[in-house]
Amino acid sequence: MNESFKRGAREGLTLMLPMSVGLLPWAIVTGVAMRSTGLSAVESLGMNLIVYAGTAQLGTLPLIAAGAPLWLIFITALVLNLRFVIFSAALAPAFHGQSWSKRLLSGYLLVDGLFVLCADRLLRSDDPHWRWGFYVAPAMLCWSMWQLGGLVGVFGASVFPKDWSLEFMTTIALMVMLVPMVKQRAMLVAALVGGLGAVLLRGLPLRLGVIAGIALGIAAGFVAERWSEKRRQAW
Amino acid sequence: MVEGVWLWLTLFAIGSTTILTRGSFVLGGEGARLPPALQRALRYAPAAALSALIMPDLLLDAGAFDPANPKLAAGIVVALAAVRSRSPWLPFIAGMGVLLLLRKGLGW
Repeated sequence: MNESFKRGAREGLTLMLPMSVGLLPWAIVTGVAMRSTGLSAVESLGMNLIVYAGTAQLGTLPLIAAGAPLWLIFITALVLNLRFVIFSAALAPAFHGQSWSKRLLSGYLLVDGLFVLCADRLLRSDDPHWRWGFYVAPAMLCWSMWQLGGLVGVFGASVFPKDWSLEFMTTIALMVMLVPMVKQRAMLVAALVGGLGAVLLRGLPLRLGVIAGIALGIAAGFVAERWSEKRRQAW
Repeated sequence: MVEGVWLWLTLFAIGSTTILTRGSFVLGGEGARLPPALQRALRYAPAAALSALIMPDLLLDAGAFDPANPKLAAGIVVALAAVRSRSPWLPFIAGMGVLLLLRKGLGW
């Protein structure tokens, strides 16, 4: 193994360690939420491995529970994961010259915390070995923490009585993700319109209300951003 | 509930969105660029989507609009806990605590 790969890996792990521990509560909650939705232990662990994206996992659980059609679940998961397109576009130059299989692995492993912590230094280094170590080692650490916490949640879920409304944990987890986002006004507008839109349009056939609400919310956020910019310029 | 083979198919469909989004530019090469307007609009996707999943659960009871329901009360406590505290556990403990108290303790 290459020296600069090892150096990159060591630096990446040191940087990621505190944040990766913070993944544990999430992973545990997601594990409990999957089991309380009605997934078996094997199905839950399968979801953790196949999807490996907390927001998309938690967000699709209510739809799985309701027996929503496959395409609707797919589109909802796609929307919940859309932010990764931005991360992927920003990080792409860091994988210049890497093999296709390494790029595929890198894509699968690209979680929010990894981007937030590693993107800046990753894009400034011109040593491909260091970059690969600095990316893949902390990425594997996050992955291990997620799978480990998931195991605890999946097998710990049966400790709680069945009538404890544990499926509400899914909504709580989604709220905990949403609250820090809406500190910005345009983001709050997007969330309010998206949420109320989904409630008001719930009567649409094929459970289209969720998708329609999301589309309205994105549009409203975009308009609110434009509007507040114009007002600032007018001052 | 989606079950059996359909559930596994669904899980793979959800998983494909992980690869499609995270892998998009990493796999597609760095030549392509995202139009700036689209990039800005995409920033609102997660907030709109999360809220579109949360609000129906908090505001609807058996499919009908009902603002006076235990889940909304618990949701308000969760929001307060998430704003006020940095503990990752508090919103879960407080939210589940209020919901269980209202449902089992007071029979709401």
